[in-house]
Amino acid sequence: MSDTQLLEDVQLYEREDLLTGCQAVSQAVRLADVDVIAAYPIRPYTEVMDAISKLIADGQLDAEYIIADSEHSQFEIVKHASSVGARAFAGSSGTGWMYGFEALVVTATDRLPVLFLVGNRALDDPGAFGVEHNDALSIRDMGWLLCWATTAQEALEHVLLGYRIAEDRRVRMPMALAMDGAFLTHSQHMVKIPSPEAVQKFLPPYDLAERRLHPDNPISIAPQVNEDWVMELRRQNWDAARRARQVILESYQEFNQIFGNRYPTPFFDEFMTEDAEVVLVGLGTVAMPARTAVRRLREQGHKVGYVNLRWFRPFPTEELRACLGRFRAVGVIDRDCAHGSPDDGGVLLHEVRSCLYPLRNRPVAVNFILGLGGRDVSINDAITMYEATMQAKDAETLDGTVRWLGVRG
Amino acid sequence: MIKRIEINYRGIFQKNLAKRIGSDIVIIASRMGQVGFSNGRYSDSPERNGIPCKYFTFVSPDLPEEELEAECGAKLDIDEANISVVLDDTMVKGVEPWGWHGIRPINEKVVDGGALLVVSRKEPSDLLKFIGQKPYNYRLALLEGDASLAGLWVYKDDLTYERILGAIAALDPQIIFLAAVTDYLWDKTHEEHRVRAANEAYEAVQNRLHTVTPSDGIEWPHEVPVLPKWNEFGEGAAVPSVKRGFEIGPRGQSRNPQFKRGTTKTMRPVVRFDLCTKCTLCWLECPDECFDPTSDGLYDIDYEYCVGCGKCAEVCPVKECIVMVDELKFEDNSSPWEFHTRDAQGYITWAEEKKGQERVVYPFVTGTGMEVVPGETVPVGKKLSAKRETRGKSKRAQA
Repeated sequence: MSDTQLLEDVQLYEREDLLTGCQAVSQAVRLADVDVIAAYPIRPYTEVMDAISKLIADGQLDAEYIIADSEHSQFEIVKHASSVGARAFAGSSGTGWMYGFEALVVTATDRLPVLFLVGNRALDDPGAFGVEHNDALSIRDMGWLLCWATTAQEALEHVLLGYRIAEDRRVRMPMALAMDGAFLTHSQHMVKIPSPEAVQKFLPPYDLAERRLHPDNPISIAPQVNEDWVMELRRQNWDAARRARQVILESYQEFNQIFGNRYPTPFFDEFMTEDAEVVLVGLGTVAMPARTAVRRLREQGHKVGYVNLRWFRPFPTEELRACLGRFRAVGVIDRDCAHGSPDDGGVLLHEVRSCLYPLRNRPVAVNFILGLGGRDVSINDAITMYEATMQAKDAETLDGTVRWLGVRG
Repeated sequence: MIKRIEINYRGIFQKNLAKRIGSDIVIIASRMGQVGFSNGRYSDSPERNGIPCKYFTFVSPDLPEEELEAECGAKLDIDEANISVVLDDTMVKGVEPWGWHGIRPINEKVVDGGALLVVSRKEPSDLLKFIGQKPYNYRLALLEGDASLAGLWVYKDDLTYERILGAIAALDPQIIFLAAVTDYLWDKTHEEHRVRAANEAYEAVQNRLHTVTPSDGIEWPHEVPVLPKWNEFGEGAAVPSVKRGFEIGPRGQSRNPQFKRGTTKTMRPVVRFDLCTKCTLCWLECPDECFDPTSDGLYDIDYEYCVGCGKCAEVCPVKECIVMVDELKFEDNSSPWEFHTRDAQGYITWAEEKKGQERVVYPFVTGTGMEVVPGETVPVGKKLSAKRETRGKSKRAQA
């Protein structure tokens, strides 16, 4: 990636700047020329509404900025804006996200491609600002696109990719871009900001076509239909989620063509997995200590690697199955809870194990629950996870074992 | 063997009555050693005033309860009925469930040899003017009386419930026989008049059974709509709206052709156009936008969409200009304004004949039912302002 790289005489990047994850997202909102933003503060999401309002105040973004009276109203506002053809943006965190849940569900069933930032935050009680993934994961069954960014640069780029994918007429689903609270939303990194011209080449204008609510296109959205229609509509949603996988692949390909080969593997990144026997797989910023641990363990001769899962919905079933099927043991990192679930594991454990189940020779899967409520995940924690997973690789009876790390006691 | 009974009722006003009849058939049948259960058609929304809804009861002498439930309980509507009860005779004009299915004949589910039991003061020939033909014989039983109407939490204790049970015993003793009905009523209440009501209904129905043959009734070209496959219609629960705006004249306003709601009404507004002051209130106040402005400043009514709520008659400032009249007096939904324009004097004569000398005031929320007050014939063009106290009194009288 180079500042001076040109594509058909278009400068790719306008500048490089020190930005928090949320500020990087706000820059992407500007570049995507978002029309309507609805806001209601809750930490860590608040940072992005601050950043966007400043962009508008500074005259850098021309958009409707509506402060709602709650998350429920906030999400309804952008849903309606999206239905009349406005590119819309909102977001929330933790319990705020849950408070708007009814609106989140109907945004998906109405098939409106709004983009939401979820600054991951532990769900109350007890009150905590720190990261936990249960807030964003709560929409996993509701017909949403859901992916995690690991760096501020990725966050910026995934707003652009997110609109491109969500608004594709084969998809038209709302998109949740999740970012670990504090560790990504609030930490500052050098970020390359694309030029508007380059973004224009990638992201077409939002066009809801025949489903746009407009006086010239009189339609009714979401009538009462009862048992005669619901199942067919669910089938449509199901199909769109399946089609989204192909659209994701195409969109990254287009993105890579313009911005250099930023994402060779769209759904997840593999790190030092070529000859690995044991890998960890996780979502979000836990990738940093995990990859560092991989480097250190490699120095000691251990064949370990890391799989940084980016897309959770649609789940990259085929790709992840082919990837993880090569290893002997997989340690699944959950920064979330699924109390009382099968084997009492976390959400990601169940998704990964379910994905691996059709394989005749599937790897052992063990589970780590850690970093809840924003607790640190250290390099040593990561090394501990690798050691435990390496031990598990020869003992199939350990499949599904859940370990809590970093908990007192 | 399974016996299926459906009870057609008017939403809100008869919800508790229908449920009570349905559940007590189960109790009486189980006292006879049968199994049974009862449920309402779930997709109905019976909290809407006047909307035609259904309650079902299933009884079997030989099936285990689970099998009976599997046959009947897991369905949202029934395929056939041994007895279709109709608690308000204006429903013989057909009933429209939630959208997409159109208006269904009242006897749609009645089986060969089955029975249609209607609470009515009309003659069979009056009702068969509206009922679709069946390819086989069935029985039409009339239980003389007015529709028993009440409110959200109650049904009116006017013996309709006891009489329906007695009538069902007369129509099909395999469901419930008379002695089981009367024993149950006596055990439950120890009130002689309830037992007597059931007995009298039993005899009345036996004496007034009318066999309906395939030549009776009207041609009803009803088709069950074929709904599109999942990939044959637009996504996102978006449907085309009705056309924007409206044109002057009958049917000038765009309305949803797939859900008309006209079968909700028990009465319809009859308009004396010659008395109209063009105050616009009916047009403004109609909750269902049934009035169409016409080129001469009057307001036509689209009866297919009118739910008979009576709001227009209530707000009309001219006495006898808009009057609510028994729906069964009308055989079609044609435009009254066109009739009036074609033949003003003929229309006035026709309207006055329909209106008759009685004015029925229909229930307000939990009233005690309809009240009848004298009406009057107003000469052409003579406008009498509506006296609010007259209507106010009748409301108070009901309360």
